[in-house]
This record gives sequence, structure tokens and C-alpha cells, in this order.
Amino acid sequence: MIKNVVLQTTHFFYEKKITKSIFYLQDSYNMFEMDGEGKWNAAYIPFIVPFTIGQFLQDDHEITIEELEMRYTTSVTKGLTSRMASEVLERDGPNELLPPKGTPEYIKFARQLAGGLQCLMWVAAVICFIAFGIEFSRGTLGCFDDLYLAITLITVVVVTGCFGYYQEFKSTNIIASFKNLVPQVKIWKYRKCMVISVCILGQLEANLGLYLGGCWESEPQSKTPECTHENPLETKNIAFFSTTCLEGVATGTVINTGDRTIIGRIASLASGVGNEKTPIAIEIEHFVDIIAGLAIFFGFTFFVVAMFIGYAFLEAMIFFMAIVVAYVPEGLLATVTVCLSLTAKRLARKNCVVKNLEAVETLGSTSVICSDKTGTLTQNRMTVAHLWFDNVIHAADTTEDQSGQSFDQSSETWRSLARVAALCNRAIFKPNQESLPIPSRIVVGDASETALLKFTELTIGNTMEYRERFKKVVEVPFNSTNKFQVIHELEDPLDLRYLLVMKGAPERILERCSTILIKGQELPLDEQWREAFQTAYMDLGGLGERVLGFCHIYMNEKEFPRGYKFESEEMNFPTSGLCFAGLISMIDPPRATVPDAVMKCRTAGIRVVMVTGDHPITARAIAANVGIISEGSETIEDIAARKRIPVEQVNKRDARACVINGGQLKDMSSEELDEALRSHPEMVFARTSPQQKLIIVESCQRLGSIVAVTGDGVNDSPALKKADIGIAMGIAGSDAAKNAADMILLDDNFASIVTGVEQGRLIFDNLKKSIAYTLTKNIPELTPYLIYITVSVPLPLGCITILFIELATDIFPSVSLAYEKAESDIMHLKPRNPRKDRLVNEALAVYSYFQIGAIQSFAGFTDYFTAMAQEGWYPLLCVGLRSQWENVHLQDLQDSYGQEWTYAQRLYQEYTCYTVFFVSIEICQISDVLIRKTRRLSVFQQGFFRNKVLVSAIVFQLLLGNLLCYCPGMPNIFNFMPIRVQWWFVPVPYGILIFVYDEIRKLGVRRYPGSWWDQELYY
Amino acid sequence: MSSNKEDGGWKKFVWNSEKGEFCGRTGGSWFKILGFYLIFYSFLAGLFVGTIQCLLLTLSDYKPTWQDRVAPPGLSHTPRSDKSELAFNLNDLETYLPYTKAMRDFLSMYDEDKQRDQMKYEDCGDEPTEYKYRGDLNSDVGVRKACRFQRSLLGPCSGIEDREFGFKEGKPCLIVKLNRIVNFVPRPPSSNDSIPEAAQYKVRPNVIPIFCTNRREEDAGKIGEVKYYGIGEGFPLQYYPYYSKVLHPQYLQPLVAIQFVNVTMNTELRIECKVFGENIGYSEKDKFQGRFELKLQVTNL
Repeated sequence: MIKNVVLQTTHFFYEKKITKSIFYLQDSYNMFEMDGEGKWNAAYIPFIVPFTIGQFLQDDHEITIEELEMRYTTSVTKGLTSRMASEVLERDGPNELLPPKGTPEYIKFARQLAGGLQCLMWVAAVICFIAFGIEFSRGTLGCFDDLYLAITLITVVVVTGCFGYYQEFKSTNIIASFKNLVPQVKIWKYRKCMVISVCILGQLEANLGLYLGGCWESEPQSKTPECTHENPLETKNIAFFSTTCLEGVATGTVINTGDRTIIGRIASLASGVGNEKTPIAIEIEHFVDIIAGLAIFFGFTFFVVAMFIGYAFLEAMIFFMAIVVAYVPEGLLATVTVCLSLTAKRLARKNCVVKNLEAVETLGSTSVICSDKTGTLTQNRMTVAHLWFDNVIHAADTTEDQSGQSFDQSSETWRSLARVAALCNRAIFKPNQESLPIPSRIVVGDASETALLKFTELTIGNTMEYRERFKKVVEVPFNSTNKFQVIHELEDPLDLRYLLVMKGAPERILERCSTILIKGQELPLDEQWREAFQTAYMDLGGLGERVLGFCHIYMNEKEFPRGYKFESEEMNFPTSGLCFAGLISMIDPPRATVPDAVMKCRTAGIRVVMVTGDHPITARAIAANVGIISEGSETIEDIAARKRIPVEQVNKRDARACVINGGQLKDMSSEELDEALRSHPEMVFARTSPQQKLIIVESCQRLGSIVAVTGDGVNDSPALKKADIGIAMGIAGSDAAKNAADMILLDDNFASIVTGVEQGRLIFDNLKKSIAYTLTKNIPELTPYLIYITVSVPLPLGCITILFIELATDIFPSVSLAYEKAESDIMHLKPRNPRKDRLVNEALAVYSYFQIGAIQSFAGFTDYFTAMAQEGWYPLLCVGLRSQWENVHLQDLQDSYGQEWTYAQRLYQEYTCYTVFFVSIEICQISDVLIRKTRRLSVFQQGFFRNKVLVSAIVFQLLLGNLLCYCPGMPNIFNFMPIRVQWWFVPVPYGILIFVYDEIRKLGVRRYPGSWWDQELYY
Repeated sequence: MSSNKEDGGWKKFVWNSEKGEFCGRTGGSWFKILGFYLIFYSFLAGLFVGTIQCLLLTLSDYKPTWQDRVAPPGLSHTPRSDKSELAFNLNDLETYLPYTKAMRDFLSMYDEDKQRDQMKYEDCGDEPTEYKYRGDLNSDVGVRKACRFQRSLLGPCSGIEDREFGFKEGKPCLIVKLNRIVNFVPRPPSSNDSIPEAAQYKVRPNVIPIFCTNRREEDAGKIGEVKYYGIGEGFPLQYYPYYSKVLHPQYLQPLVAIQFVNVTMNTELRIECKVFGENIGYSEKDKFQGRFELKLQVTNL
């Protein structure tokens, strides 16, 4: 009697060398349901706690069992002694993965406060404090302004720091909340095993009928006691931690536990340091360095100039501080973070959860996507694709929603074939799923039978009841050794014959047949039909499909009367001379959206490389199906076959496509791999191990590509980590993969990646716009100080006012640019070259600073001089006025009309100037945000009001500006004065000038691409 | 800023001999871009200067467009000192020399011989009278005459007889003026309600009264008698309005001299002087608007 032990959802907590038995293991988080209480019976697992000091699988899988016993002072049959076991436990600790050491929260927070720009702000604050201290001790009036500013600066740093910290906290929280969705390893099971491992001895025989499977792939793989490969990861006699036993029983010796297992290593490797910086992080760092450098440069230059002109040291220091405050874009980092998190949110709605905010942009610069096949490109669901009967190949509907065409079902042969397919099948639907569409119902059974069951359910309907009508008498289960299955059935009441149906590998089935069913007629199976069969079999196999043959026989009622005792083991019934019914082939069909998505990638200049563990033929078929290998592309082998020449003589450059299997890949040097990737634009890697994925990723990166990698298995995590952007599958992905990845696809769908790419490119464009917008106003903030120091006019713009521009009024508009639609079809452009296409390039900075910024400065000064002149201070009088203007004791300073002003009156006039300058910058910034909507197109083409957020941001900015100006109490709190309405309109012509000038710039850029104008003025 | 930096280091960036590039650009390229910026900034500068010129054209020569920051007027005094402190030792010339010098300098504007020109000055009487309007600001009358203000009106504080302005005797003088504002006519208080009782005696027609008293309660009585010199012991109205620097170049503000004749010696006294009028205001933030504070300490040891 053959026993079947089905073990699902049970985790191995140890890596062990399998000493006996064969067995199926499966990735822990696969599609199989986790019904909590696994049927794992403790009695079947004679674990033996291992010895491992600095050993990593070594040659454990190659040595004999006796040697293994010696090495671990254990016994395969008896296990460790309890004393030994507790010693080992004490030495190695419990068998669990330690969570990766995170950075302590306070360090994370401190880091937010110690960025390049923040440090400058600290310096500025300290200078303020010193100035306050000195002035206070001197008893100078108005010294509290410095204290006030220092406190404001610190508040700004701390608040933006908190904001950044909160963003970081939130983005790590995304994954934390996500973690709760996936089933976690249950520790209690492990403890149970722990005890068992000491007490229970291995008593099980291995000769039970077992399904055995592999551990790393999504397809179950069988495990055997024999060492099949020198690589411990490839060999079949090691079962790895975190894999699930699907079916079967085995005995083994534990060789590693906890963090010393491969997963432990991968987890610590993946979560450890060496986290590569994302392109956007590099960009921002690069740019912050420049800004900080320039701020110090400007500050220092003017410090020296001020000292030279004859200012006191303290005053010069205050100038330095003020220049730093004016020049540093305080709100920029917050803007960038908000923009990225907005996109991350948008992506989350499209099934991409972004763990690391910066990954959003990385996706946009991706130039190569290494994609898995199963589940990502395909539906991860075996589906009947073709049938062969009546000597014709019929195509079945493989679409996800059954929207395709069906085939002709009128033939008598089809009825027989369908009957065999329906009866000769052990798969059953789980109950209570009647409301679900058939393709998404859950089935208990293996992949092929599931496919067949769903197929029969779809075509003939109600398979379960159909099976009831044909009562099963005996069955010989399908197994891996003889590849066939026989079921006996009883036909309807009057007909007393038994029906034998059989399915299996087509050639095996054909061997047993003597006749073939053609159009309902049993014809002798002659050479002609055999050839026809062969052709059909080859054709279907060539499509990369899994083919099964079906046959049946009505048994003679005299020989096998009712009540005949069939013995499945003795086979006391005919198993040859049967009647061949047909072939059914199955494939895991591509997802409907994938071909489009691949096409989009192609137009976007992104290479899609398929990396799969599947058979090359299947891989190639799917690749061709989804467009990774485009129509008309040939591999070297194709060319050789077409030209009828040996493969060696084919010029490798002629072949666009290339399919490389894992075996070939192993023998290739990295140069050869690079060369292959360079010369063939369309690549498919088949039969690869996950380790080879890492090699492929590295090779792509050597070629200068930004690589996105999809993965689900635990051992994909190094590749995910290595990749510029790792994408883990949300459904099929393991925890380790999700931890290592930067992004998680909730629907496992390749098309979602393309959406991500689009969003990533958009945000890069929009960030450019945001930054350009933010940088522009630094010049009109800086120039007042420069003029103040060099020309000694009364100060036109105060530090606190600058902070209000940076952190209050301008934040919303700069963020609103993130909502801007793409200017052109960004998916028709090549991915950006990270070395050339910088986020902040020279043209952008120069255009913002020296052109738009300059116009804004002039606008500010015009308004400033207007406000001064209209109150009685002519421009020429202002020049050189500073020392008298700021003299606290001078209460009767004469203006151009001979009027005498007290100090406080002058101070309020100065505040009026601040406000006027502020208003000018605001007005110009409204114009600026409008021109930043596009870099190339005219704003009229883009549409003024299409970006609703931007419009409301402008309204908000104006309202806030009005609030600051006209709210009572502002003069003495924030140095804003209620200014005359006319002064709001003084900068308007400059705003119009900015708009018109930029339209002219864009027109030139559009009209004369490549011209000097384009080169110098396009950013 | 350029990517050249990474490739060839700074030196190569500054001068790339292979391509003949200086700071990432060839000579021709520099010429073009500098030319562009020259034109660009010339245009902007032209625009700026043009706008400012337009602005100046809109301005009146005689009266500022707005006067909302300068009015109501400030009250300033001479001598002024750091931390508004007037501290001296009457036995030590050095301690009050700066004060007396400042006063002499200030009063030199009011020297009699400077006011002789009949074309520019006229007598407005030694008694307070009504405002003296000299035509509309924008009328074609041109330069207006100014009222004379003789130093002798300030009596002992005029500096004519006593060059030390009473500092030597411990009876220091202060010269006070109301800051001038174009076209501003200070209006005397219409009722006595807003004026402290002690100061009410100073209210007279056609005069803006000024009154000094102790700032702190504890200084009451220590200040002694305060004497006021000048036309009507305040600011007489015939000197107003002021017709701006262009139309009224010779304008002399009326002055009031305040003398503390019986001040308590060797004590720091806080004195507040205030002018009163309909359109005279005071502000918490501006300690010199319509009033001022003074710390006075006369030492005789």
C-alpha cells in the first residue's frame, strides 16, 4: 500500500542535509494557502541540531552520512543527546533570524539635523547668538532682533528636520504595515521542533510515495538524498530554511540554524551596509554641496569685502550669516521630499508600494529591467492553450477573463477527449466558490490537473457532477516515474462496460495505443498517424507548452464484468492497445497587459531582459509572445537553421535575440557576458539559478545601465539589493525579497513597473522644475544684502522675511509643480544618462540665477526704490545712507524733502521696504511658477489652468502674502508692514517680462533645436 | 558645476589645453555667452533706470507722495547722547564740553547775521500767531520766505551770554525742536482733557505747548523748576507749515529751550518731555514721537 503524506504550509526552520527520502519543498510564501495548522507531524522530523562554527554549508552535501555524523557528533538515526542539544542551543542561540540592526531613532533624527544645509543654518544661528551676546552686553538697542533670528533659524532647522524624519519614518512604516499582511514564520512551531529534534528519532522510511520539490523556485522541485551538484545551492540534497514542504516525508540532519542559514546570511547581507545610493540621492547631494559651497563662498567674500570697506568684525560676521540665510534654499529639501512622497502615493494607488522614496525617481532612469517570467510576465496559472485532435491543432482561450475565441467543439473526438480530461483528473475545486469566475477559483491539485479541471469546467461545465456520473472504481496515481495515470470508470446504467482513461506524457501514452480516434471513428494507429502525432507534438512543444496525451478504452464486459476486482498494484487490466484521443497542451500564459507594457518599455528605450528558471523553449515562447523577442528577431540558432550552417559560422552580430541558459552562463566569463548583452538587444536567460541573476545584474551595471530587477524568492534578495532598484512581488514575494527591495508590486504585474517608470520620469522632470523655481528666488534674496553692504543703502530685505518666502509662501507652489503633466510623451524618450543628464545642470542654475533671478532682483529694487522715493527718500540719497539710517540715536535724519525722521520711523520704513521687496518676489514667483510649468513647450500649449493644484497654490500664495502684510500686529512680530496697494503692482511689469522672456526662450528652443540658443538656454 | 571637474580635475577644468577651453568653454564660446549677458543686463539695467526715471517723474519736488511713516512728528533735542543720558560734573569742563559744543554747533544755524537777507527771511513776530500760509505747494510762487528765529529768544539758553548754556552752574539747558514735516500743521490741543493738570497752564492760543516732568514717581519734586524759553514757551504756529527743502531752503524751525534751574544734584533723574496737540501722537515703539525721555544727572562733587 502506498501512503501519501501531504504536508503544506510548514516551514523548515533548519537547513538540513537530506539523508533519506525525496521530497517537495516550496518557497514559503507562495500561492499555496497558509491554513495555519500545518499537517506537519513532528514524528516525521528527526532533526539533529548542528555544529556550525564559521562553516557555511561547506561540503556537507558532498560527504557521506557517516562523515556527517562525525562532523556534528550526532547520529542520523538517534539525533543529538539532550545534553549535547542544550549545549549547542546555548552556543548557537535559538534558531531564529535576528532582525537586522536598524539605526537608532535618535541617530536618524540627528542625521536630519546635520545635513549640509542644516549645518550652515546652525552656523548662522550661532553667529546670531554671538552677535546677540556681544550687543546685549554693550546694551545696544535692538539687539533682540539677533536673538529672535537665531531662535527662528533653529526652529526652521528643527522643524524641517522633524518633517524629514517624519517622512522617513512614514516610508519605513509603509513596509512595516506591509509586513503584517504576509504570514509570518510562527515561532511556536520552531520551538516544538526544537524539542522534537532532541527527543524524536528518525524512523521513517523513504520509500513512501512522495512528491518532491525544490526550494528556491516557485515551481516545486524534488529533493533526493544524492548530491547532485557541487554548489550547495544547486544540489538536491539540502533543504533550506524558509522553504515549505509541499508533499512528502524526509529525514535529515540539521547543519545550520538561525542567522547562519542561507536566508540568515542573505538577510544580513541584504540588510547590511553597502546600500548603494540612489541616483536622485547622488543628484541632491551633488547639488547641496554646490549650494553650500557657493553660500560659504559668497558669505566669505562679502565678509572680506565688508571688513575691507571698514565694517566692524561683528557686523561683517552678521553679514556672513545673513548671506548664508539668504542664499541657502531652506525649503528645498522639504519640497523634494514632498514631491517624491506625492509620487509614491500616486504609485501606491497603482499597485507599486515604494519603500524608499528616492526609488521613485530611480525607476524613471531605469534603462534595463531584468524581469522574472513566472507571475510577473505570466499569469502564474497553468492554462490549457492548445488541443490536438482530429489531426488539427485547436487553440484554446488563454486570456485572463475568457474574452478570447473558442474552438470548434462539434467533433465526436472532442467529446471523448473532454471526457478523458474530465475523468482522468484528481483535482477538485474547493467548496463554496460558486460565485467566483472559474479561472480564479481555488483548486486542490497540481498545476496541470488544475488547468485541465478549469478547462473542462469552462468547456463542458459542471465537472464534479460529471465525475459523479462515471463512478471511479480504481485509480493508479500519476507519478513521476511512470508518467501515466489510469482511472477506471463505470459508464451509465445500461452499458455495463468499464471505461479506462489514461493521461500522461504523450510518447508514453502513444506507446500504449493501437488505435486513434479521428472524427469519432477508431482508426488503426499506422505510421501516417504516428507521424501526424509527432508533428503535432513537436509543434506544441516548440511553443514551449507542456503537452499531455490522452487515451481511453472501453473494456470488454465479458472479460471485466461488473464487480471485477481491479488491483492498482498488480495492474490486472489492459494497459496497452488503447485508443488515442488527443493531445492537450498547457502553458502559463502571459498577462494580457504585458505585451503592451513591453512595447512601451521598448519605445521608452528600456531593455527588458527575461531571467527565468524555466526551460529555454518555454522561456523563448513567452518572450516572443510578450514581445521581449520581437517579431522577426532571430537567435543565432535560428539563423543557423535558416541558412543551414553550423552555429559557429553565424555572425553573432546578426542575431538580435539571444537565449542563454544557465549552463552556458556558468561557463561564460564576465567579459563574454558583457559582450553578449552588448551585441544582442533582446536577451532571455533561461534555466538560471537565482545566483546567476546577480551576475546578470552586475554585468548590466558594468555596461552603465540603471537596472531594475524583479524577484520574489529569498535568494533573489542580493540581486534585488544590488540592483539600482529592486522590485519585489507583493503576492509571490518572500519577506526577505520584500525587505531587500526598494519597491513592491502589489499585483505582481509587469505592467505596473512601466507605470512606475512613467511616474519616475515625470517626477524627475517635475523636480527639475520645482528646483529651478526654488533656486530662482535666492538671487533676489541675496542681492539686497550685496547692495546693502557695498552701496550702503538701507536694508531692502530682512532675514526673517526671507525665511517667510522660503518656508511659507513658496513651498506650496513649488510642490504644486509635482502635479504638472508631462510636456511630451516621456515614454518616447531614452532613459536619462545619469552621468550627463543631471537634475540640476549648469544651464538650469545659470538660467535661474543669472536671468530670471536677475530680473526678479531688479523688480525688487524697483519696488524698493519706489517705496522709498514715495515716502521721501530719493534713490541717490539712499546710497551711502546706511550708517546714519541705522544710527539709533539720530532722531532727526532728513530725507530728500527736508523732513526729519526719528529712528523708529525709519525702522518702520525699512520694514515697509522688506514687505515691498517680499511682495515683488512673490509677484515674480507667480510668473516664475507659470513659466516653470514647461521647459520646452509654450505655457499656452500646456494649458494655464490644467494643473488645478498649481492654480490653488498661486491663490494660496497671494492670500498668505496678504495675510502677512495686513494682519494686525505683523509689524512688530514678523516685520511686515501694511503696504500701499499700488506697490503690489510695481513688480507686475517685471513678472510679465519674465513670462514673455521665457516664452521667447522656449520658442527659440523649439524652433532651433541644437542651436546656440538651445544649448545655452535649455535646462 | 560642470562635469568636467570629475573627469580631469580642477586644473584641466580651468584650462583645458587640448580643446583650448577655459573653465569649460572656448574663447569663442565665452565671447558669445558674455556678449549675451552684456546685452541681457544692459537691457535690464536700461529698463531699471528707465523705470526709476519714470518713477522720479511722477514724484512731486515739493511734497512726498506719502507721509504715513513720518507723521506724526518726532520730538528731537540737542544735545543728544548715547542711551539718552545727560550726565556731567559741573566742576569738570570735560564732562559737559561735548554737550555745549553740540548746542553751539546746532545754534549756529540760528545766528542773527545769517538771517539778514530780506529776500529770504521775514519777521513773524515774537508772539505766537496763526499759521502762516505761503501759497499752495504746487503754485508758481517759487521759493518762500522763512520766518526769522532769533537766538536771543532762548534767553539764558541762547548761548550768547552764557557760552556754557548753564552747565557750569548746574542749570543745564536743552534745545528742543519738533521734527519738520512737509505741509504739516500741528494743531494745538482743543481741550484740556488729554493734558495732565500740571501742564495745563502751558496751554495758550497759537502755541504747541511742551511740558517736562518726572518720568518716575519717586523723582517727584526732585527736578525742581523747569524754565521754558522761546516764543510762547512752546512751538508757535506762525512757523508752520513747512514748504519742503526746495521751496523753503532757509526754513528755521521754532525752538524751545528748557532749563532745569533747580535740579537735585548727584541723583539720576528721569525726565519726560512731551508736546501736546490735536495731531500729535505718541507710540509705544517710538520713544521720540511727540515726546522724549532723558536721564539727567548733575554732579557737583
